[in-house]
Amino acid sequence: MSALRDKYAIVGTGKSQLGQVGLNSLQLLEQAINNALKDAGLTNKDVDGVVVRGADDIYSHHQMIAQRLGVDASFSTSLDNGGASQILSIILAVMAIEAGLASVVVCGYGRDSWSRTHTKSGTGIPTNDLIPAAQRPKEHGPEFGHFGAVSQHAFGARRHMFEYGTTRDDFAAIATAFREHALRNPEAQMKKPMTVEDYYKARLVVDPFCMFDCSLNSDGAGAVVVTSAERARSLKQRPVLIKGFATHNNTKGWIEEDHMLSTGADESGKRAFKMAGLGPKDVDTAQIYDCFTYMVLTQLEDYGFCKKGEGGAFVSSGALRMGGALPTNTSGGQLSEAHVEGMLQIVEGARQLQGIYGPDRQVKDAEIALVSGHGGNQVCHSTLILGRA
Amino acid sequence: MSEYRKPIPVPSAESQPYWDGLREQKLMMPRCDDCAHRWFPPSLLCPKCNSAKWTWTETSGRGRIYSYVVYHRVYHPAFAQEVPYAVAVIELDEGPRMYSNVVGVPPENLVCDMPVEVSYEAITNEITLPKFKPIDARV
Repeated sequence: MSALRDKYAIVGTGKSQLGQVGLNSLQLLEQAINNALKDAGLTNKDVDGVVVRGADDIYSHHQMIAQRLGVDASFSTSLDNGGASQILSIILAVMAIEAGLASVVVCGYGRDSWSRTHTKSGTGIPTNDLIPAAQRPKEHGPEFGHFGAVSQHAFGARRHMFEYGTTRDDFAAIATAFREHALRNPEAQMKKPMTVEDYYKARLVVDPFCMFDCSLNSDGAGAVVVTSAERARSLKQRPVLIKGFATHNNTKGWIEEDHMLSTGADESGKRAFKMAGLGPKDVDTAQIYDCFTYMVLTQLEDYGFCKKGEGGAFVSSGALRMGGALPTNTSGGQLSEAHVEGMLQIVEGARQLQGIYGPDRQVKDAEIALVSGHGGNQVCHSTLILGRA
Repeated sequence: MSEYRKPIPVPSAESQPYWDGLREQKLMMPRCDDCAHRWFPPSLLCPKCNSAKWTWTETSGRGRIYSYVVYHRVYHPAFAQEVPYAVAVIELDEGPRMYSNVVGVPPENLVCDMPVEVSYEAITNEITLPKFKPIDARV
């Protein structure tokens, strides 16, 4: 795998409008891909590969988005790996270009979760509207009042608290650090400061998680353009080198073995670091899939930024803040920028390495960024390591 | 029973023997005839050795709370009067893990690894739910 290190690059990044937008997921992704192509100095005529994902009830998503953008693709597909799909789209882009199936690939993800959960005809009781009816369990869960992803991840948080003495103070340190970052990001959905006191005042959703442990319902999309590092040299932006990647899915299940305490970040991280020829100490900024506060803490342990069980002390030391040991989710993440299933983490990792931000938001001398993706019934994981060119 | 408004499980052909067992107050799990592995929910083949030879086998009904959460948000109208209520991942002594509720103990008294045993709750003529209660009555 290390033969592919630095051979491919991200050459353009784009976002759609974020937050309470009112466009559907395809329209949002149209915006994001168009912005990424403009950023790269390319047009739809330059693109011959499309790897995307969107709302779970849209069939053949890649065909629909390519039709809207007027792209004829020699390689295109949609992915089905939950929040781990977005890094996987970049891995597939690299593999497709390496195999000669395409030369310039757009990777993206769009969702309209805010619009879908804020319909006027609602009963006032939130439902699992984001999960297509056919995919909802009919037994072994709902009869006990067990619904959805919040509680699945809360099981992990509870067990981690029991085994390692992790506290809600640690979760608060994550939520407040990311809110600080969001306040420096004009595109972020959340505009109000959050103190630890605010965190504890927020209503409980599924204990131990309160509202501020949970990521946002967002309309939004992100996209990047991937091509060879050689081609990248003649393009408009400073390229971002793809140094390492790996996936690992604990497919036996979230509640099995120790999977809710130790995620696929462990295995995929080791292999991605090996491909990149790097280790945790080389990483200047991390962009971690933060569907819930706890997932940041456990992935940081799994990647080796601290030991298993010491994530609470690590995040509570201020490590995740600007100027800390590992500035993390520097755009505000899914907890405070917008929840676009990890796609904006890739965009932010790339932009930090391009060094495009002002001093308040730029990680100083950032050369290496680690990005994570997590999802797919809580057990699918992907890791991407990017480097400054 | 006509007033029962919570979700009623819809057995599949694969899970029907599990629900048949519960109706007779037996908590059954698949057990591999070849490697003795026990698992849940059921699948066509043993997930450990992929043998097609396995048997629905009664468990002790005893285990521990591997983890639990307390719902404060109402996701289904039938639970509006029950919040805050706990949902647990139960690990049976035989190994398999399953979702359930812990009854007879307030949520604030729950703790991971608490020993529990099955307690059957018939909700219709066809469906009985496996819930769990603490083995030590003092909690």
